[in-house]
Amino acid sequence: MFKKQHALQSKSEIALRNIVVSGTLIFYLIFLIVPIGIALVGSFHEWNPLDGTYRFLGLENYINIMKSGDFWNSIWNTILFSVVVIFFRVGLGFLCAYAIFSSLIKFKGFYRAIYYMPVVTPMIAVAYVWKFIYHPQIGLLNHLLGTHVNWLMNANTALIAIMAMTIWKDFGYAVVMFMAGLYSLPEDAMEAAKVDGCTGVQLLRYVTLPLLKPMTLFVVVTSIINYLQAYVQVMVMTEGGPGKATYLSSYIIYNEAFVKYNFGYASAMAFILFVVTAVLTVISFRVSADKV
Amino acid sequence: MKKKIQSIVLNIILISIGIVTMIPFLWMVASSFKANKEITALYQTFLPKAFTLQNYVSMNSHFNFMRFFANSLFITITLTVIVVYSSTICGFVLGKYRFRGRELLFGLILSTMMIPWCVTIIPKYTMIKAFGWLNSYKALIIPGLFSGFGIFMMKQHMETIPDEILEAARIDGANEFYIFHKIVLPMSKNGIASIAIFQFLWTWEDYLWPYLAISDRNKQLLSVGLRMFSGQYATDFGAMFAATAISIIPVLLTYLIFQKQFIAGIAASAVKG
Repeated sequence: MFKKQHALQSKSEIALRNIVVSGTLIFYLIFLIVPIGIALVGSFHEWNPLDGTYRFLGLENYINIMKSGDFWNSIWNTILFSVVVIFFRVGLGFLCAYAIFSSLIKFKGFYRAIYYMPVVTPMIAVAYVWKFIYHPQIGLLNHLLGTHVNWLMNANTALIAIMAMTIWKDFGYAVVMFMAGLYSLPEDAMEAAKVDGCTGVQLLRYVTLPLLKPMTLFVVVTSIINYLQAYVQVMVMTEGGPGKATYLSSYIIYNEAFVKYNFGYASAMAFILFVVTAVLTVISFRVSADKV
Repeated sequence: MKKKIQSIVLNIILISIGIVTMIPFLWMVASSFKANKEITALYQTFLPKAFTLQNYVSMNSHFNFMRFFANSLFITITLTVIVVYSSTICGFVLGKYRFRGRELLFGLILSTMMIPWCVTIIPKYTMIKAFGWLNSYKALIIPGLFSGFGIFMMKQHMETIPDEILEAARIDGANEFYIFHKIVLPMSKNGIASIAIFQFLWTWEDYLWPYLAISDRNKQLLSVGLRMFSGQYATDFGAMFAATAISIIPVLLTYLIFQKQFIAGIAASAVKG
């Protein structure tokens, strides 16, 4: 690649660049780097802002987390939640996008706009709506099915109910992304495959899907980052219950930090979650790089 | 003929998915116009049998809900305007200028998107407290001045603006501030629309930060208000429906108005990214 020959920098360019660079650096120093430092140091302390405790513990928080059943339970729930939701989000999203993209469908923009609606609505309000949908007496779901299940208070159904709601809210994002991917596919590759006598299924299997791999990766990685941080659904709909059936990692961090005010312990958990997020992101990039 | 049947079947499937997508919204709005007696009745109709505005009135009378609404609208619009501007100008500098450390700075900004909220929120809370910003809108606005996502989107977007246009303006003697405000900003409509909608949504739905930063009830925002409300009036279903409808509808309207630019903008940035 040739470096573009750049005209001599003007005074105003240097000024604008300096303003922007120093502005962002100062901002991220104060509201990102310093907080990460404080959290890291805090995670080695017993830290409670209500009674002012701030006492060095060394690795005790981390050791206690590793020994805690709640933590491992939440990790298991979070993995289950993320895998199921991502599977349906990507699968349903791709199928819908592929169907809308096909020449059989006329009102493409209409479907896309409808499917995207839940994505742009506030999670906290939507969570309340779904809490009512699942309500044992007034709930829409029980009325439609003619049942009297208390979906959110039953340990067997609570997590599934939250997953279903999250899939409902998020699959439209994948639809829009995959449609964008499909429209950007190189037409000559598609034409060439058709000339060579590819059937529809072969075209999908050997041309379309491999070409959509980067988009799939993008959706999966952003989903992983999102779902590891999901807590609002749980906070509104079940508060982790019944029992601990819907403990998600971010929810127990929220709970530890702002219900019990164990800042040190919560920070240690947050760091573990951070490392998990980073590792999973790197792995997804590696896996896809191998396959491409 | 075979094509026609396929097309009909496919349309039916897609419409059914569309109905599932829409029903929670329609049910919420319909229920918000039902009296509580009707909501809890054994036999139900989807549409209200007796249309009533009582829920909206009672929601606002036992709780100053419209005050929360106005606060949220103010904060959300302020932050959205700021973030659109800061993202566009940062995107311009990072996308169009060549300087040492550019990649490093962009990498830092990108990595901010990967850091979970729970890592930084406790220290940010203690810092805001130390600055004396608790219970002031400074606490809501200043930590949100820049958005990693916004800068990333706008840097992608800058690639759609040809360098030749900028060079031509430079030759005509325009300075960079003029170029940015008069040329780049107007050419960034799609990018701006998508950032604006996301930023609007994220600020509007943010719960934890306003909950921590604001304690004065008159200054509180809608999402926190919604939860406080449900804590006190959990059994007043009608009012809860009205309250959730109020918190969803502005965002939905914004989306419906700008949906074209928005989908174009978000999709374009992802294809290149």
